[in-house]
Amino acid sequence: MTSTAAARSTSLLCVFAICRSRTAAGLPAELPTGLPAGTGHARGGPLTVLPIGDSLAALVQEVPAEEFTEQALQQRLADQSTLEACARAHHAAVSAAAALGPVVPLPLATLFTDRHRARSVLAESLERFHRVLNRTEGRVEWAVKVHLRRDSRPAAEPSPPEPAPAGPGAGRAYLSRVRGREQDRLSRQDAARAAAARVHDAVRGVAAGSVQRRPHGPRVTGNDRLQVMNAAYLVEEARGPELAALVRIMREEVALSGVDVDLSGPWVPYSFAEDVEDAEDAELAGERT
Amino acid sequence: MDNTSVRMAVSGTAQLDVPETNPAAYTPGPATTSLAEILERILDKGIVIAGDIKIDLLDIELLTIRLRLFVSSVETARKAGIDWWTTDPALSSRAAEHALARENEELRERLKELEQSGSGSGASRSGGSAKEKERT
Repeated sequence: MTSTAAARSTSLLCVFAICRSRTAAGLPAELPTGLPAGTGHARGGPLTVLPIGDSLAALVQEVPAEEFTEQALQQRLADQSTLEACARAHHAAVSAAAALGPVVPLPLATLFTDRHRARSVLAESLERFHRVLNRTEGRVEWAVKVHLRRDSRPAAEPSPPEPAPAGPGAGRAYLSRVRGREQDRLSRQDAARAAAARVHDAVRGVAAGSVQRRPHGPRVTGNDRLQVMNAAYLVEEARGPELAALVRIMREEVALSGVDVDLSGPWVPYSFAEDVEDAEDAELAGERT
Repeated sequence: MDNTSVRMAVSGTAQLDVPETNPAAYTPGPATTSLAEILERILDKGIVIAGDIKIDLLDIELLTIRLRLFVSSVETARKAGIDWWTTDPALSSRAAEHALARENEELRERLKELEQSGSGSGASRSGGSAKEKERT
């Protein structure tokens, strides 16, 4: 941990999240209760609370300037292991704060030269922060992913075709088999897509909002699964068990068609931290590619 | 950074099915939460504040990592049938805008790669074709 005197001249201020003052109230000026020591970026100072306006506070940390300049960050974040360490540190700090009350998570590497700068810039967004806090208070995010197992075959799959006779017609038979396999693949994907739509409709019924994210590629899912839905839902904390039960039912319903339904969470409502003002939940900006 | 390191970093977490835990406790443990899930949340989401350090999180190197983690083209996704929400009128216009922006990003990235491999050796060219395979 850097000494305070040295930190002042050689550090930047990293902001993780915004919360209400009453969430931060009663916390000591340094290392808020409930936040594990060492939470935050490696080689940074302790997490502290910076008052913003009358009723909000930012969760901040002094970090070594040389590691967080634009150039240093571009290099460090391009390295898989450093990116992962930074991402997990950020996520841990945001999650720790969220356990104390509603938060507005800020994107990774939101940095200011000092506390005064942070204060004055963040104070310009007080209303936006309040809107997000009001919207997400008492709610959590759950991720639902739907995968098609690549090895799966529909229950009613016909037995493999007879070996093609040699001679005239063999080429046509071959093409027909290829076409058959392609159609089989497409119909399985259609079925998975339909299953995903059913899951989405069901889960939407217990959610206050939803976001469709870009599905993960094979590097994340493995080659044996094709991800057909990667969605996030904003759900009342109390409805967690209801959601879990619903997902279990949906999972059983679609399992026969080779489709998996995974539930992960609860997450801090990252996907719903955008300032939507008076937009409908369904209109939330998200990755809907 | 090579492909192996990416795979190692994300393998084993992809089929995560987090147990239905107490909603009040945000403790998705580092060992059980996939990097892709965290990145898509902390890079793309939330209110963006213009900080004093202007780091473009879509910086080309970082983007490369992200492209490796996610389906690399809208067209691939569409072919795979990942398009049912585009028929939802509430989503489709935003989706189209977003898709276009993504495509642009990806094309710029691809162009840069091609320019680099054009001036580079045969080795970098074969790297490019390996990457091409990944995307299909």
